[in-house]
Amino acid sequence: MQIIDPTGSSAATAKTLAKRPSSLEGVTIALLDNSKPNAAVLLARVGELLAARSGAHAIRAWGKPGSSIGASPAVLEEIASEARVALTASAD
Amino acid sequence: MPCVVLGTDEFSPLARAQVTAKGLPGLPVVTVSHPIGGIPAATVAAKAESIVDRVLRGLTTNPDADAAPSGGDTQLVEAPPDIDEFQGWLMERGWGDGLPAIPPTRERIARMLAVTRRRADEVAAILVPRLGRATLEVIAANAVLAGALPEHLSVILAAVEAVADPAFNLQAIQTTTHPCSPLLIVNGPIARRLGIHAGGNVLGQGARANAVIGRALRLILQNVGGARPGKEDRATHGHPGKYSYCLAENEAASPWESLAAERGFAGESTVTVCGSEAPHNINDHASTTPPAIVATVSSVAATVGSNNIYLGGEPLVLLGPEHAATAASTGWSKDEFKRQVWEHSAVPLARFAPENIARFETIYPEGFKDRPPGAVACFARDWRDIMVVVAGGAGKHSALIPTFGATRSVTRQITD
Repeated sequence: MQIIDPTGSSAATAKTLAKRPSSLEGVTIALLDNSKPNAAVLLARVGELLAARSGAHAIRAWGKPGSSIGASPAVLEEIASEARVALTASAD
Repeated sequence: MPCVVLGTDEFSPLARAQVTAKGLPGLPVVTVSHPIGGIPAATVAAKAESIVDRVLRGLTTNPDADAAPSGGDTQLVEAPPDIDEFQGWLMERGWGDGLPAIPPTRERIARMLAVTRRRADEVAAILVPRLGRATLEVIAANAVLAGALPEHLSVILAAVEAVADPAFNLQAIQTTTHPCSPLLIVNGPIARRLGIHAGGNVLGQGARANAVIGRALRLILQNVGGARPGKEDRATHGHPGKYSYCLAENEAASPWESLAAERGFAGESTVTVCGSEAPHNINDHASTTPPAIVATVSSVAATVGSNNIYLGGEPLVLLGPEHAATAASTGWSKDEFKRQVWEHSAVPLARFAPENIARFETIYPEGFKDRPPGAVACFARDWRDIMVVVAGGAGKHSALIPTFGATRSVTRQITD
């Protein structure tokens, strides 16, 4: 018996990931807090340890208005213009 | 910009689904042991130590070339012809909900699609988190699985389009830990024509149209939208409405204008979707006046542990016809009833734990930050956000149905 696959297809299109720098020395690291409890704590500590280990220049944090709402285009643009790499979060 | 996603191991399937839907399956996701919320900050900070090396590697090492996401048009799959074997086969693929299902053969799908003029390959909606293409054909396939009949297709289609409206916030409804699922409220002549039940035991078993229409939407969300239980669907408990959650408003027994009329569709057939919790009973066998009914309804609504109290949204008061008659007995309009329920459902901020106040004041500062002593929080941000629908049969019960909060109900006219 043949049936039609009930999942159909996905509209996801392949994009290319940004090229990574070979080191984080001197760069600014962006932290994007998803506003879940303690996400900022984890991000801040990872950023701090990362900076100590890699010689990053600075860490700056941005936020989302809520965990179930995406970051605003203005915040994303600011991150893109002011930082070289970014960390974000998804969990409870 | 080079980016790394941090998460907990429990949420790894959701993070992977998300980066894949964004077209970036190679994006590094680095996890710590679950949880990070609700534990001391020092414990969270300690978890950071274990992942710094992986984060650094993710930010400074170019990942392998991404594989193109799978896609394609109609896919015919060979399935076991034996109906009993088919059930296990379907579950193994993650395409079922645990109940027996009807095989979506080409013939059955053709019969389903014969009732619409829309093309089989037309995309009615793109469903998150997977960005699944809900074509008419794939919607019909899930409708067949659910046991729906061709006459049910127009309601299912309108519901699919409604949940895809950005205001509904389907991404959150599909993937949250909160127990929510689209509740379908059908209004108008189509409810009577299809026998969508509005009376006694309205949210219970026994009405075929309610059962199969709600179930079809659930299977579409799981299979096309890609919210698989325990994977992308992160519900802590879920609720029984995740099998099927569909009712018709009991317009004949309502003293007020219908939900459809409130939304500008008086007399028309509509479906409204809400990102709803399970119903919680409101028992009141004694009240004979509107304020007394309001007192009981409000007391059930006024709770600390509710999404609506800090995220807003549109909690639903599903009034039994007898409570509705009492509420309207002195001439109150539906709006007046909403205002009264809203005013009486306030929760003193003193009843919230300080940790929750600290969390809520960042999410909803107007409601929780630097509030004077004696301040209260309401289960809806505005009385107009309270939805009131009359349904059910004889008896002195109503139901409170809160929502996920960061979601708006969406009403669509049923036309196809």
